[in-house]
Amino acid sequence: MTAALLLIVPLLGAAALVVAPARHAKWIALVASTIAFVLSIIMAVRFGPLWTSREFNQIGWVGLIDAFGIRLSLGADSVSMLLVLLTTMLMPLCIWGSFSSITQRLREYYGWMLVIETAMVGVFIARDLIFFYICFELTLVPMFFLIAIYGAENRARAAYKFFIYTFTGSLIALAGLLYIAWQYAKSRGYHWSFDIETLTTFATDMSATEQAWILLALLAGFAVKVPLFPLHTWLPLAHTEAPTAGSVVLAAVLLKLGTYGLYRFVIPMIPLAVVEYAPVIAVLAIIGILYAALICWVQNDMKKLVAYSSVSHLGFCVLGLFALNPLGVQGSVLYMLNHGLSTGALFFLVGMVYERYHTRDMDQMGGLCNRMPVWAFFMVFFVLSSVGLPGLNGFVGEFLCLIGAFTASADNASYPGVLGPWYAAVASVGMIFAAMYLLIMTGKVVWGPLKEPGGHGHAGASRAHGSTLPADLTLREIGVLTPLAILCIYIGVQPSPITTVLGPPIDRILGNYPETVERLAQPDLRPEHDVIQVSGIEQGEPAVSGHQHYSGGADG
Amino acid sequence: MTEAVQLSLGSGWLAAVDAARSVIAGPSWAGWILWLPLISLVLCGVCAALKIHTKLPAWITVGSLAISFVVIVALYMSYRQPMEIPLLDWFNLNWRSNDGQAGSFVAGFAFYVDKLTLLWMLFVTGLGTLIALYASEYMEPDVKRGYARFFAGISVFLFAMSCLVLADNLVMLYLGWEGVGFASYWLIGYYYTRPSAVAAAKKAFIVNRIGDLGLALGIWLIYYNFGTVEYANAQGTGLFQILASGSYKHEAGGWSIQAIPFLLMLGAFGKSAQIPLYVWLPDAMEGPTPVSALIHAATMVTAGVYLLARMLPVMELHPAALPTVAWIGGLTALLAATIGMAQYDIKRIWAYSTVSQLGFMFVGVGVLTTYGAAFHVFTHAFFKAVLFLTGGAVMHGFAGQLDIRKISGLRHMPGWQITAWTMLVGCLCLAGFPLSSGFFSKDEILAQVFAVHRPWLGFMLLFTALLTAYYTFRVWFRVCAGPVSYEMGEEHHGHGDDHHHGKADTGHKAPPRHAPPAHVAHQPHPPRFAINFVLVVITVGAIISTFSGSWVMDKVSHSSAAVLHAADSHEHHPGWVPWLAGTIAVAGIVVAWHFHLASRKSADALRARLLANPLTRWLPTAMENKWYVDEFYEWMIVTPLWIFAHALYLFDRYVIDLLFVDGVARLPKWMGRSFQPLQNGVLQSYAVLMAGGVGLAILLVVVLMPHLRPWLIGFFGGGG
Repeated sequence: MTAALLLIVPLLGAAALVVAPARHAKWIALVASTIAFVLSIIMAVRFGPLWTSREFNQIGWVGLIDAFGIRLSLGADSVSMLLVLLTTMLMPLCIWGSFSSITQRLREYYGWMLVIETAMVGVFIARDLIFFYICFELTLVPMFFLIAIYGAENRARAAYKFFIYTFTGSLIALAGLLYIAWQYAKSRGYHWSFDIETLTTFATDMSATEQAWILLALLAGFAVKVPLFPLHTWLPLAHTEAPTAGSVVLAAVLLKLGTYGLYRFVIPMIPLAVVEYAPVIAVLAIIGILYAALICWVQNDMKKLVAYSSVSHLGFCVLGLFALNPLGVQGSVLYMLNHGLSTGALFFLVGMVYERYHTRDMDQMGGLCNRMPVWAFFMVFFVLSSVGLPGLNGFVGEFLCLIGAFTASADNASYPGVLGPWYAAVASVGMIFAAMYLLIMTGKVVWGPLKEPGGHGHAGASRAHGSTLPADLTLREIGVLTPLAILCIYIGVQPSPITTVLGPPIDRILGNYPETVERLAQPDLRPEHDVIQVSGIEQGEPAVSGHQHYSGGADG
Repeated sequence: MTEAVQLSLGSGWLAAVDAARSVIAGPSWAGWILWLPLISLVLCGVCAALKIHTKLPAWITVGSLAISFVVIVALYMSYRQPMEIPLLDWFNLNWRSNDGQAGSFVAGFAFYVDKLTLLWMLFVTGLGTLIALYASEYMEPDVKRGYARFFAGISVFLFAMSCLVLADNLVMLYLGWEGVGFASYWLIGYYYTRPSAVAAAKKAFIVNRIGDLGLALGIWLIYYNFGTVEYANAQGTGLFQILASGSYKHEAGGWSIQAIPFLLMLGAFGKSAQIPLYVWLPDAMEGPTPVSALIHAATMVTAGVYLLARMLPVMELHPAALPTVAWIGGLTALLAATIGMAQYDIKRIWAYSTVSQLGFMFVGVGVLTTYGAAFHVFTHAFFKAVLFLTGGAVMHGFAGQLDIRKISGLRHMPGWQITAWTMLVGCLCLAGFPLSSGFFSKDEILAQVFAVHRPWLGFMLLFTALLTAYYTFRVWFRVCAGPVSYEMGEEHHGHGDDHHHGKADTGHKAPPRHAPPAHVAHQPHPPRFAINFVLVVITVGAIISTFSGSWVMDKVSHSSAAVLHAADSHEHHPGWVPWLAGTIAVAGIVVAWHFHLASRKSADALRARLLANPLTRWLPTAMENKWYVDEFYEWMIVTPLWIFAHALYLFDRYVIDLLFVDGVARLPKWMGRSFQPLQNGVLQSYAVLMAGGVGLAILLVVVLMPHLRPWLIGFFGGGG
C-alpha cells in the first residue's frame, strides 16, 4: 500500500495548504514532499527481489472504481521505480529551492507543486490505461498555473501554448490507446479491460496497418511531450517563462513522461510499426540533436540555451530507445535519469543567477566566478555532466545510447536492429556541439573579468532590488545542489547496479524484436499489410504471470 | 606502400598473441596509482573550500604523486609478464534475447599492464612529481588565491592520464582521454579573468572533442566488429587475441573494419596536436608554465602516440593507415617548424617545436618503428620539460617577459647560471646535436624512414631538423648569450597572471594578496631552490635518457606495440643518416649563431629585405601569422556554421513555431471568422440561409442516403 500512500500524501499536503496560513505553506509542502520521498524509499526497499524481475509487477490496488474494466491498479518495474525515485527525490529539492524565489500566492504555488507530484508519480506507476491517462493529463493543469501565475514576462502565451499543444497531442494518443482497448473489448465480447499488460499482449497481434496508425496517434502524444523535432517549439518558450522550480520539474520529469510513454506503450505494443518506422523516428531524433544544439550555440539567454539543450539531449534518449537493443534502451533509461539530474541542476543554477540579477542575458554578465565561486563550482560541474564527461553521469547514458544505435544494424547477427553506424555517427556530432554551446556559456558567464548586469563593479550595488540573497549561494541553495551532484558522480562511476536492474524488464520489452526485425528484413516474408502477423512479446514465455498476478490482486 | 611495411603487416599481431597468451592477475595495490591523485584532488578541494592559504595543497599533491611514482616503480620491479588488475565495475551489461542469443558489453576500471604501460607511467608520474614540486614555488604568488585550484587540476590530470595509460579497455582509455582534455581545459583556463586564457581553454576542449569523436567512433566500430573493447584477457577473448587468431571475418566487416585505423588516427591527431587539429596547442600556452611543461609538452600530448602504439595491431587493419600517419606527422613537423622559427614568444616557440617533434613521433609510428617513436617520446619528455621550465623560470623572474628580443645575456646575470646552462642542454637535445639524447632518438626515426624507402619524407624531415636546430638556438643565443640587457614584463605579480583586470572589477578593498618586495617589479628575481633543483634533476634525466635506447626498446618489444620485423633492426638502417643529421644540426646551430649572436642586426636586415621584396614578402608574413590556419578555420568552418545556426534559430522561431504551430492553432479561429459574416443580424439573410440549409438537407437524404445506409448500419450495428 506504500504506492497508494505515495499518491495520496502529496494530495493531502495540497489539501492542508488550502486551509493553512500562507506563512507555513512552504514548510507544509516541504514536509509533505519529504514524506513522499521517504515513502518512495520504503517502496523501493520493499520492491526487493522484484527489482530484477522481468514483469510489470502489480504493486498496489485501490478498488475504488471498478466499472467498465477501469481499475485503479498500480504496477512497477525497475524503470518505473527509478523514475518514481527521481521524481520524489527532486520534488523536495524543487520546493526547497523555491523558498526565496516565490513571494506571492504561496499556498497556491506549493499546492500545485504537490498536485503535480502526485500526477507524475501516478503516470509512472499506473497499470491501468485510464488511470495513466488521467495522471498524464493531470500534470498539465498544475504546470499551466505554475507558468501562468509565477512565470516571467511572456508567461501567458507560454502557458497557453504549453497547455494546448501538449493537450491536443495527448488527446490523439488517447484515441490511439482507446482504439486498442476497443478492439480488445470487441474480440472478447465487450468485456472491457484497460490493463496495460493485457492490452500490450493484445496489441502486438494487430495488423501492421493498424499498428502504423496507432504509432502515429501515440507519437502525437508522446513525441510532443519528449519533445521530438519538429514538435518542440512549445518547450523553449515554456521552459524560459516558467519559474525556476517549474523549469526543473518540466525538464527533469515532465519530458520523461514522453519517453516513458514510448518505452511503456510504443515499443512493446506495436513492434511491426516500430520496426517499420524506427528509422524515421531516429532521423527526427538526430535532426533534433544537431538542430537544437546549433540553436543553443547562438542563444544569449541562458535559460533558453538550457531549454534548447533539452531538445538536443532528449534526441539521444529517443535514438537509444529506437535502437531496439538492450544497449540502446538501457542507455536511454539512464539518459532519462541523468538528464533529469544535470539539466534540472542547470535550471536551478540559472534560476539562482536570475534571482540575484533579474536577467538571464549572457551578454550582460561575465566572470561571475569572481563574485560567486561556489555557484561557479556547481555550474562547471553540471555543465561537465551535461557535456558528457566520462566519470560523470551524462557520459554513461549518452555512450550507451550511441553505441546501441551504432550496433543496431540489420547485419548484426546477435541482435539485429534497424538503425546502424551512420545514425550514431551523425548523432555523435552532437557531442562536439554540446561542448561548443555549453562551454561558450561557461566562458561568457562563469569565466572572464567580472561583469555584473547594470553595474559598474561596485560590490553588490548592481544586484536586483528586493533581493535579500547574499552574493554567493546560501546554505539552502548548496543543500539543493549537493544531492544532485553526488548522484551525478555516483551514476557516473557506478552505473552497473542500475543497468543490472534495468536489464530484465528491458529484455522483456524488447522481447522478439530481433526476430521481428529479421523477418521484416527478408523481402519474401515481409507482410503485405494485414496478411502476416508477427508474434508479440509475450509469446512462448512464462510471462503471463504478470497477468495472473493482476487477477489475483483483483480477487483479493 | 613499401615492401618493408607490407612484410610487417601481421607481424604486430604475432607479438600481440605473445603478449596476450600469458595475461596474469596483477597485484591489487596497483590501484593506488589511481586512488592517490584522487585523494589529492579531494584534499585540494577541501583546502580550497576551507580557504587554507598556505602551500599545503602543493605538498599534498607532490606527496601523493611521489607515492604513486613509488607504486609504479614497485610494479615495475615485480613485473614478470602482462598483468590484468580489475578494480571496479563500470559498464557491465549482459542480455539474452528471446531466441537465446546472449550478449554483453563490459568495460570496467581495470588495468592492463605490459612494459609499454610501465614505460609511459614511469615518466608520467616521475615528471609529474617533479613538475608539481617546481610549481610549488612557481605558483607562490597565488597562494592566497588559486593555489589549491591549480594543484587540484594537476591531480585531476595525473588521475586521468593514469587511467588513459593503464586502461585495460578502450572505454576506460576514453575516460582518461576526455579526462586529460578536461584537466587541460581546467589548467589552460587557470587565469580565468584573462579572456585570452578562457578562449584558449575553450578552443583546446572543443578541438580535442573533434578528435575524441574520432576515437569514440573507432571504439564503437571495434565493438561492432569484434564484440569487445578489452585489449586482452585471461579468457582469450580480448581485442588483440581476436586479431591475432584471425577469427574475425575481414571481408564481412568491409569498410567498417577498414575505417577503424583512420578514426583512431583522428583521435590521436586531436590529442597530440597534428594537422588538422594542432591549432589548440600553441594557444594552450596561456596556462601557467608548469602546466605547459607537464601537460602540453611532456605527457598528455604523447597520448596520441601511445594510442597508436598500443593499437598497432589495429592500425594494420588498413594498409594505407600507417603511411597516412607517417605523412601527416611529417607535414606537421615541417609546418610547425616553419611557424616556430618566426615567433618571438619563448613559450610559443617551444609549443610549435612540441607540435613539430610530435610529428616526428608519428612518423616513427607510421614507418613502424614504434621503438623509435617511444624513444623519442621518452627523451622529448625530459628535454622539452627542461626547456619549458627554464622558460617558466625566465617568465617568473622577469615579470612575465617572454619576448626573445627583450632579454639578452641571461648567463651573465647573477643567479641565472643554472637556468642558462640547463636550457643549453635542453636546446642541444632538441636540436639533435650529435651524441645528445634527441640526436639518438630522432636518428632512430630518420634512419627507419630511409630504411623503408621513403626518401622524400626523409629529406623533408632532415630539412625540418635543420629548421629545428636553427630556431632552438635562436632562442638560446638571443636569451642566454650576448650582452646583458633586459626589459621587465608588464605583469606586476610575477608571471603570466594579470589579475589586475579582475581586481579592479571585483573592487576588493583588501590589500594586494601578496605584497611583493618593491624591487620585484623592476628587478629580475632569479629562481630559488625548488625551481633550480627540479631543473637540475630533469636535466640530468635528459642526459641519462641518452643511454636509455636499449631499455626503451626492451619495453616496446614486449608489448602490443612490438614490431617483429627485420626492417626495425639496425642492419637495414643506412649508415649515412646519423652523419648527415648530425651535420645538419650543427649547421642549423651555426646559422642561428650567425644571425642571433654574432650579428643580430643581420637577422633584422634579412627580414627587412624579404619584406621589401614583393615577391618574397609573403614568406615572413605568412610564417609570423602561422600560415593563417586559424583564420582559415575561422572563415571556412566557424563563421559559416555560426551563420547557419542563426538561420536555424530564425527558422525555428518563424517557420516552425509561427507559421506551422501557431498557424495550425489559428485554423479554428479562421474558420470561425470565415463564418462570422453570416451572423450579420439581417433577418432576410437568415431566412435565405435557412431555406438553403433545408434544401441541402433534403438533397442529402434523398440522394446520398441509399449509398450511405449499409455503411452506417454496419458501423452502428457493430458498436451494438
